[in-house]
Amino acid sequence: MNWSDIVGLDSAKQALLLLAVDPSLGGVAMAAAVGSGKSTLARAFAALLPDGTPFVELPLNITEDRLIGGLNLEAALATGQRVVEQGLLAKADGGVLNVDGLNLLDDAVVTQVMDAMSRGEVRIEREGLSAVHAAHFMLMGTYDSNDGNVRGGLLDRIGLIVPFVSNGDTQARAEVVRRNIAAPLNSLEQETDEMAMLRGMIGFAREQLSSITISDEQLEGIAQAALSLGVEGNRADVFAAKAALAHAALSGRDAVDDEDLQAAAKLVLMPRATRLPEPEQQPDQPPPQQEQQPKPEQQQQDEDTPEPPQPEAQPQIEELLLSAVEAALPGDVLNLPFTSRRGKSGSRGVQLNDKRGKFVRAVQGEMRGHKLALLPTLLAAAPWQKMRRETEDGRRKTAGDERPTPSLNRPPSSVSRLSSVLITKEDIRVKKFRDKAGTLFVFVVDASGSMALNRMRQAKGAVARLLQNAYVHRDRVALVSFRGQQAQVLLAPSQSVEQAKRELDVLPTGGGTPLASALMLGWDMAQQSRRKGIPNTTLIVMTDGRGNVGISGERGAGGKERLAAGGQQPTAKQQIEDELKQLSALIAADGVGAVVIDTQANYLSRGEAPRLAKWLDGRYVYLPNAKAGQIVAAIDGAG
Amino acid sequence: MSTHSTPHAELNALNALNTSFPFTAIVGQEEMKLCLLLNVIDPRIGGVMVMGHRGTGKSTTVRALADVLPAIKRIEGDVYNRETVDDVDQKQRRQTTDDGRRQDGSSIVRRPSSQKLEKIPVPVVDLPLGATEDRVCGTIDIEAALTRGEKRFAPGLLAQANRGFLYIDEVNLLDDHLVDVLLDVAASGWNVVEREGISIKHPARFVLVGSGNPEEGELRPQLLDRFGLHARITTITNVQERVEIVKRRRAFDENPAAFMQMWEPQQQQLRKRIVHAQKILHEVVMPDDVLLRAAELCMKLGIDGHRGELTVTRAACAYAAFQSKAAHGPIDVKYDDVKVMATAALRHRLRRDPLEIVDSDERVARAL
Repeated sequence: MNWSDIVGLDSAKQALLLLAVDPSLGGVAMAAAVGSGKSTLARAFAALLPDGTPFVELPLNITEDRLIGGLNLEAALATGQRVVEQGLLAKADGGVLNVDGLNLLDDAVVTQVMDAMSRGEVRIEREGLSAVHAAHFMLMGTYDSNDGNVRGGLLDRIGLIVPFVSNGDTQARAEVVRRNIAAPLNSLEQETDEMAMLRGMIGFAREQLSSITISDEQLEGIAQAALSLGVEGNRADVFAAKAALAHAALSGRDAVDDEDLQAAAKLVLMPRATRLPEPEQQPDQPPPQQEQQPKPEQQQQDEDTPEPPQPEAQPQIEELLLSAVEAALPGDVLNLPFTSRRGKSGSRGVQLNDKRGKFVRAVQGEMRGHKLALLPTLLAAAPWQKMRRETEDGRRKTAGDERPTPSLNRPPSSVSRLSSVLITKEDIRVKKFRDKAGTLFVFVVDASGSMALNRMRQAKGAVARLLQNAYVHRDRVALVSFRGQQAQVLLAPSQSVEQAKRELDVLPTGGGTPLASALMLGWDMAQQSRRKGIPNTTLIVMTDGRGNVGISGERGAGGKERLAAGGQQPTAKQQIEDELKQLSALIAADGVGAVVIDTQANYLSRGEAPRLAKWLDGRYVYLPNAKAGQIVAAIDGAG
Repeated sequence: MSTHSTPHAELNALNALNTSFPFTAIVGQEEMKLCLLLNVIDPRIGGVMVMGHRGTGKSTTVRALADVLPAIKRIEGDVYNRETVDDVDQKQRRQTTDDGRRQDGSSIVRRPSSQKLEKIPVPVVDLPLGATEDRVCGTIDIEAALTRGEKRFAPGLLAQANRGFLYIDEVNLLDDHLVDVLLDVAASGWNVVEREGISIKHPARFVLVGSGNPEEGELRPQLLDRFGLHARITTITNVQERVEIVKRRRAFDENPAAFMQMWEPQQQQLRKRIVHAQKILHEVVMPDDVLLRAAELCMKLGIDGHRGELTVTRAACAYAAFQSKAAHGPIDVKYDDVKVMATAALRHRLRRDPLEIVDSDERVARAL
C-alpha cells in the first residue's frame, strides 16, 4: 500500500509528514474512532521513517516497571550484577511511541510519558536502582473524544493535533474498501516507488530545515493569533513556528510563506484554541497590544522592554492565520480538546488503596489488612539471600557459643524460612489498587426562573464546602446547570479548588427548565467517571422539580398555563413528564444516587420535587432557603 | 543494556541530555527567576513552589538554575557533600564501629578517605515522579549484597541533595507518601533510614523546589505552606517577548553548544552577582521600623504564626543583597524591598476561601 492509498485522514497524514521532518515537534495526536484506518496509518508512517527506527507500541495496561524500566532480576541473580532493563519509553528512543487511546491511559502512565517527553530521558530511581536512559521519541497517539479527553499536560507537549479526523463521506469510504480489497497481502512491506520518493523528500527536508528562514513579522503574527485564540502557555508558538518551517522544508522553499503558516495554524494553533477571535478590528486602528489585562509581572516586564511600533505586515499575517483556523474548524470551538469540559478530570495523580480497584503496583508494607503480592515479595527478597544466609550462619555459630546472641545482632524481626528463601519484614510487598475517588457529587442546579440566583449562590457555597473536604475523602465535585433549552456543564468532575473558582465565577440564569437534559448530562458524567475508576456518583438536584423543556429542547407549557388548563394537560407537557419519569428510572437502575433539594417556596409547591425524588429513588430534602452547610449535611446523610 | 542507546542526531538536538537552556536566556517570568535566585543567596528562605499554566517554562527555568549556581566545598568524594566530619551523626558513628563491624567486618558507611576539600557545583537533584522511597532515602547497596553478601548503605537522592537543591516537577502528581517523607526531611534537615538491621542518620539539608499546574491536580494546602516562596506564572502575552522565545528556542534546539556559548558572558555575570550577594548577605541590616512594618503587614493579612514575617524579611534581605552594588556593607533593607517580596512570600499563607472573588495577590496588594 502506498501513502496515497490511505484515503481521507489528510490532515493526519500531513501532520505525520511534518513530524517526520522535525521530530522535535513532539508528536501527533489525532481524534480517531475505531475503524478510521488509524492502525493502517501508523504502519504506513513507520514505513516512511529510516530503516531501523524504533516503533514501539504502548499497551494501555502497561505497568510502571515495564514503562520506565527496572532491575533485570534474572541477569542479576545469574551474574551477580545490577542489570537495568530498559523500559518501553527508552526502547522508543530515536523513534516512535505509538499509543492507541491516549485518553484511556492510566494517570500514572500519562505522568511518566509526560515526564519523559519534557526531559528527553527516563530516570529510574527505584528499587535500589539508579539509571538514566535517553528517551527522545515521537509520540503518535489517537484518542476517541467520546471516552473523555486526553490530559491537558500531555496533549500540550504534543506539537501537532488533529482534533477532527474525517473520512466520513461515502465516496471516500467506498474508496477505502476498494483499495483495501485491491491491495495485495503484505503490501506494506513492499517498497513502492511512492514510498521511496517520500522518504527521499523527508530526508532532504530534514537536511534543509536549519537553513529555512521565518521572518519576525511571521513570528509576531503567530504570537498574536495564539493570543487571540486564547491558547494557554507559550509552547504553541514554538510548535507553530517549527511546523511552518517543516512545511516549508517539505515544499522545497527556503523561506516560510503563507501556505506554511496556514498549515501551522491548522495543526498547532486551531486545536489549542479556547475561544474564537473577537470580530475583526478596524483596519485603520493600530492592533491591540494586549488581548488581556496584563498581570502585574507582565507590566513590570513591559517597562523593561518597551514595545516597538508594530510593523504593517503583522496584522495581515494574524488575519491569515485566524482565517486558516476558522476554515479548519468545522463546528464550535467548544468541541476542541482544550475547551470541552466533558470528562476533563482534575486528577490528583494516582490514588492507591488497599483492597479494590485496579491492581497497579506492589509496595513495601505490612501484611495486616493488605493483600500479599507474592512474586514481588520474592523478587524483593532475592538479592539479599547471600548476605542473609551468611549472617544467619554466623549467628548460628555465635549461638553455638556459650553466650546468646545480643539482640542488636539479630536480623530485623524474625526471619522466616520459606523453603530456602529468607524473607524478612522489609521484603513484604503488598498490592496497591488504584481507586481514584470515593464519590463524585454532581450538582444539578436549576438556573431558570426567579429563584435561580439564590439557588446558584447556595449551590456554589455547597460546592466550595465539599471541595474543601474533597482532598480528604478523595471526592470529586461537578456542577451542571440548566436553563433555556439546554443543560450545561459548568464544572467538570474536579478536586481542584483553583479550577472551580475560575469556572464558577459567572453563572448565567433565567429561561426555561430543561430538567431532563440536565439529568441526562449528570448521568453521562456518572458513566464516564465510572470508566475512569470512580465507582459512585450522587446527583444533587436543586430544583422546584418542574421541568418544562424536553430533551430535544421542545418547550412544554409553563406552570401558569397548566393551572389555567385545569386537569387537561397539554400533550407536550405530558411528554416531558413521561420522559423525565423514564429517565429517572433508568438513572436509578444504573445505581446512581440522588438527592433532590426542593427550593420552591412552600405555598407554591405542588409536589413535583418529591415526585422526582421518588422516581430517582433518592432522598428528598426541603430547603427553600438552604445554607451551604445544610446542603452539605443533607448530602452527607445520603452518602 | 544499562548504557544509553544512541539517539538519532536530529532528535538529540531536541532536548540534549546534558545541556540545559541558559538561565539568562529565559524570557520573562521574572518573579519565578527572582524567587529561585534568592533561595540560592539564602537557602533559609525555605524553597520555592512554582505554580502556573502549562508551557510557560517552569521546568526549563528550574533546570537551568544549576548552571548559574556557585561552587561549594566538600570533603573529597564525600557522598553527603559534607564540608566537615563534625557533620557526622553520633548515631551513625556508633553503628559503624559497633554493630556494623561486628556483623560482617565491613563498615556500613563509606567514610571519607581523606580530609582534603574539593570544589563541586551546588548539587541539583531532579526527582523523577516514579522514584521509590528506597532510592529517595537510600537503602542497602544491592550489588554489594548480591555479589559479596555485604551489608553496605547506598545513599539515595536525599544524600545527593544535601546542601543543594531538590527539584520536583509536577509536585502535585507525586505520591502523597513520598511527599510526606520529603517534607519531614526538609523540615528536620536529617534523613533517617532503618533497613536490614542498619540504622543511618545523615544530614539532608536542601532547598525544596516544586512546580506544577494547578489544573492537573490540586495541591494539599499543608504542602504549599511549607514552601518559603510561592511564585505564580502565567502565559506571556507580550508579542515581542513571545517572538524572542521562539527565536531563542529554535537557536538552542539547532545547536545547543553554540547557543550556550553565546550566552556564557551573561551567565558568568549572573554567577558573579550571586556570589557577591552571598558574600554581603551577612552585612545586610534590617532596621527596626522596616521589621515593624513587615509584621504589621502580616497582621493586617491575618496570617497565623511567624513563618510569614520570617520569610518575607529573609527574602527582603536577600533581595537587598542581590540588588546592592556596594562592595561591602552595611546595607539597610528598605520597606520597598519588603514590598517587592511580599506577594511571593505571603500569597500562599492567607486563609483560603475557595470561592473568594478577590484573588490572594490582590489582597496582598491592597494590604500594602
